[in-house]
Amino acid sequence: MTMFHFFNCAILTFGPHAVYYSATPLSEYDTLGTSVKAALVYLGTALVKLVCLATFLQVSENDGFDPYQELLKALIGFIDVAGLYFALTQLTHRNISQNHKFQAVGLGWAFADSVLHRLAPLWVGARGLEFTWDYILQGLEANANLVLSISLAALGSLIWLRKNKPKTLIPIIYACAGIVATMPSITSYLRRGLGWHFPKVVGFELFTSLVMAFISWQLFSACQRPST
Amino acid sequence: MATFKKSGGLRDLLESMYSVIALLFILVACVELCDAAAAVDVYRLIQYDMSGSPFGSRFAALNHHAASLRFPPGADLSRTVLIIPLRELNITFVREYITQKKPLGGLLFLLPEVLSFKHGGNKQVHEKEKMKKLLAELEQLLVHSNIPYPVYFAFENDDIDTVLTEIKKNDAMGQPATATTGGYKLVIPTAEPKKVASPTITNIQGWLSGLKADGDANQLPTIAIVASYDTFGAAPALSVGSDSNGSGIVALLEIARLFSLLYSNPKTRGRYNLLFGLTSGGPYNYNGTQKWLRSFDQRLRESIDYAICLNSIGSWDNELWIHVSKPPENAYIKQIFEGFSNVAEELDLKVGLKHKKINISNPRVAWEHEQFSRLRVTAATLSGLSVAPELFEGTGSLFDGRQYVNESAIFRGVKLVAESLARHIYGHQGKGVQIFADESSLAANPAYIRSWLDLLSQTPRVAPFLSKNDPFVMALKKELADHVDEVNVQHENLEGIFTFYDSTSARLNIYQVASVTFDLLLLLVLGSYLIVLFCFLVITTRGVDDLISLFRRPPSRKVKTA
Repeated sequence: MTMFHFFNCAILTFGPHAVYYSATPLSEYDTLGTSVKAALVYLGTALVKLVCLATFLQVSENDGFDPYQELLKALIGFIDVAGLYFALTQLTHRNISQNHKFQAVGLGWAFADSVLHRLAPLWVGARGLEFTWDYILQGLEANANLVLSISLAALGSLIWLRKNKPKTLIPIIYACAGIVATMPSITSYLRRGLGWHFPKVVGFELFTSLVMAFISWQLFSACQRPST
Repeated sequence: MATFKKSGGLRDLLESMYSVIALLFILVACVELCDAAAAVDVYRLIQYDMSGSPFGSRFAALNHHAASLRFPPGADLSRTVLIIPLRELNITFVREYITQKKPLGGLLFLLPEVLSFKHGGNKQVHEKEKMKKLLAELEQLLVHSNIPYPVYFAFENDDIDTVLTEIKKNDAMGQPATATTGGYKLVIPTAEPKKVASPTITNIQGWLSGLKADGDANQLPTIAIVASYDTFGAAPALSVGSDSNGSGIVALLEIARLFSLLYSNPKTRGRYNLLFGLTSGGPYNYNGTQKWLRSFDQRLRESIDYAICLNSIGSWDNELWIHVSKPPENAYIKQIFEGFSNVAEELDLKVGLKHKKINISNPRVAWEHEQFSRLRVTAATLSGLSVAPELFEGTGSLFDGRQYVNESAIFRGVKLVAESLARHIYGHQGKGVQIFADESSLAANPAYIRSWLDLLSQTPRVAPFLSKNDPFVMALKKELADHVDEVNVQHENLEGIFTFYDSTSARLNIYQVASVTFDLLLLLVLGSYLIVLFCFLVITTRGVDDLISLFRRPPSRKVKTA
């Protein structure tokens, strides 16, 4: 039962990434290198964030919501955005269309995030005899995170890579990007400040990820029209 | 040259990385889990062989699903552990299961927390008599049966109570826990119980010499005071025997202390030697006492005037019994009994005389004095019990903890014995002199009694599990040595007809498990989710045609071959 459960949760957490890669044209254009590079950039970003958090943050005894600390965490979260900017613009990609570039980067980013944050707890926890719903919820969270990362990458590529955007859409793009970038702070506020339980938080994440994905898709196709 | 060095450095880096990765893999594989819903200390039923016949619980490892007493009738319990709290115990039900050898995965008895010597504290026990009777019956049933599955005792606490209520709820809904329906799993990962190799019994004797008058060549007479200190119970790790025979040990130590005060001054030293014996092997027909006596010098044995054995003097109200095996008309017995009665009258308590003949052909030795009597030494046992206990009955059972003993009873018992002995030694029979008067410097010390009683109530003392240099035995020896002139320790092997097995306590993990069907269902759901995701992504990014083309061979090839 134990390894079986681990296997189930693993395919829930990491399966969608593989499916995404093989189902979309990414596999035809062999964008694996881009994804791997994006994953490495995520690793670097995570290390930098870790150092900053360790230096500037205070460990609070109670699990409450401290606005000042959360603000600091959100600011440090913007290092994420900087990392994504680096991955999108600075890495030398082979000639792949912008459409596929952001998908590959988003995919690599999300995969690295899942592996770093969810593989270890899964290996240590899901193999035991004790059954909890936590790991399945964690897998669903990984799915939501994949969608969010791809949306953020899409919005990022719109902001930094596309030069001719309709003027009216620019504030919307920035607003959406801001919301997606601050998702971690929002979920932490929900969990700590409002005291939501894990299933509720995961449900919220899934819902918002689908909504943001839809909005970014619309924005992307809206910006696509002038160039075609 | 530079490239050579560079490649060599790179190779070193790769190699070190490989070793780090390998180490990481090993570490990761070794991560063992302990995330149980509850982890409880449990104590196993004793396992022993007597003359080759097996008794007790023959297995220790446990890995089965849990069920409560509300299981649906007719359910197969051969792979289930029944959890039975003491207050719901139906002794006929358990007896039926054991005597009819019905298949069962295991038994877990939950005892009230107040009986635990680690956490019970000084809370009062409700319905003492009822619980005592129930526990005694249960213990006798378990100790004398051969049970082919693990039986454990545990103390109730909040974790296990919540687990039990959940199990009862599930059982009431008609779904006993099995591999396909989930529930709770009890796991005790211990090894197979092994025989205890050559169990030793250790007898401690203390000798207090009397005053020998100059020119007196004869050996001084000796009075022996004996108590057995080891216990035997259904759960050897819980067998502290506060009354049987912790009370006897404490009384013996206090009497030794009092007489050592008297004997330290040559002016008050009596003309009797005093021999104190802390014997082991009590529950096994006083095997240790027999071996101890056999080791005596003939002269010493003949010089013993009489021996007083102390047994269970901690829980009586106002009557003590003197058990003898010589007929009450015997002059020596009369003398002893009169001495005790006189003192008892003064102390406002009753002493009765009970005579039980020894049957030489019967190996059962119910009282310690019978071992003396078999070697023609006058002896009597002072006890709060009026009836002789059966084999393995009342030798440190589960209810015999600190709450069961009354220290004032021991205090009065000490006064009785010490006063009677002293009057006999100093020849003050019949006179109204109180040697160990209260408020005097020779008064019995209640604090001493209390502290030793507390210690004994926290020390399980089953002889096969006490090693030769067990710290408790050494402590007893040291304490006796403080009071007497000479201490000797005798190590013997326990009688060959008994074999004991180890593994007396363990840690139980209770896991809440999901059933196999749940996992299969989850796999099905996840599989279909991934397939749907795949199809969705192919349709949205490449078009429906691409999806169909994945499942059909391209028509051109077919045309070619045709």
